[in-house]
Amino acid sequence: MRFLPVTLLAFILYIIITGSATPYDIITGAITAVVAGLLFGRYLVKNPQKALNPARWVAMVAYFIKYITVIELKAHLDVIKRIISGETNPGIIKVPITVKDEYAKFLVANSITNTPGTVTVYMDDEYAYVNWIDVKTRDPDEARREILEEFEKHAKRIFEG
Amino acid sequence: MKKLITLSIILLAVLAGAYYLSSYLAPRAELNALGEFYLRNSYFGEHSAGSPEVVTAILWDYRGLDTYFETAVLFMAIISAVSIFRNIPSVSFHPRGFTNITKTGVKIVGLITFVAAATTAFHGHITPGGGFQGGSMLAVVPLLVIVGFSKKALEKAGLNKERALVIRTIGLLTIALAAFYPLLAGGRFMQNLSIYPKELYGMLVSGSLSLFNMAEFLAVGAGFTIIFLLLSNPEGGSEA
Repeated sequence: MRFLPVTLLAFILYIIITGSATPYDIITGAITAVVAGLLFGRYLVKNPQKALNPARWVAMVAYFIKYITVIELKAHLDVIKRIISGETNPGIIKVPITVKDEYAKFLVANSITNTPGTVTVYMDDEYAYVNWIDVKTRDPDEARREILEEFEKHAKRIFEG
Repeated sequence: MKKLITLSIILLAVLAGAYYLSSYLAPRAELNALGEFYLRNSYFGEHSAGSPEVVTAILWDYRGLDTYFETAVLFMAIISAVSIFRNIPSVSFHPRGFTNITKTGVKIVGLITFVAAATTAFHGHITPGGGFQGGSMLAVVPLLVIVGFSKKALEKAGLNKERALVIRTIGLLTIALAAFYPLLAGGRFMQNLSIYPKELYGMLVSGSLSLFNMAEFLAVGAGFTIIFLLLSNPEGGSEA
């Protein structure tokens, strides 16, 4: 069962990368998807029911759209302002991370890195070490609210529970 | 100010160069006559390449650009390997290896790379790409696993040197059999059409071309994997 979500994902990816859906594409795509599912399934999926839950995929797409529009725009504008004015106060701070799931952590870490102004330098089980362009606070909880509370909220909805 | 002037000069030069070159880069309309041209000219014709071997003439003279970029793909793959491995001593001394961010990323990127490699190889006879290009991409997956996790993790997952060798041999054997089969069927060595079907159940397979691509895909992918496994062997070599 664990190979099924990966097989489906691989098939969709194959058709998107190919850019056409003739019978030849569908047959070779199906072969590729089954092989990919057998090879990667046990490493990528622990809980097939969770991975096949459409509500979680909808939440992920919704988060992606919100991320690349609202969140990215706000962060870009802030960094553009700082580039022009030169007002920076950079530093690496320790931020507690509350999500436990592997993919939830991955999503939070990459959301921080992809947002202009913050980069995840290192991450262990409890803390993320973030290079911040403007260190507003050194208090871990306050920094958490500023940097990753919103990311964690979405990551929990998509990957946890 | 000085920087700005230099930058605008470079920008103008690039634009002018691109404009000048664009007239030479227009797609050719008489592409179908090209095959005839190669056959007539490769040895005797006015535009001789000095070679009776038409394939070699095309490969290294008329379409030398193609071969050039195929070599570039191999070169790029090796350069990427070198650049990925540049920090390996510091990595192996790190007590916990990479963070989970890298490891999770390797798994997801590995799946996407695998799918992209497969579509490149399967469509080698329709779109740019082919067995060699797809195989090079395929070999990136074990390379990522070796760097992100370890060589041992790759071998524990079932991909060791011996298995890669088996896959590579299957690929090379398929190429040899597909090349020799036309001789048995009363044709020429490596003959393509009329021995192999152009279409299979209405799907374009271009005779033996797609078969060669798939075999080359396995051979190159597994071949590079062997090299990566060998290069990353920490116990290899003598003490001296």
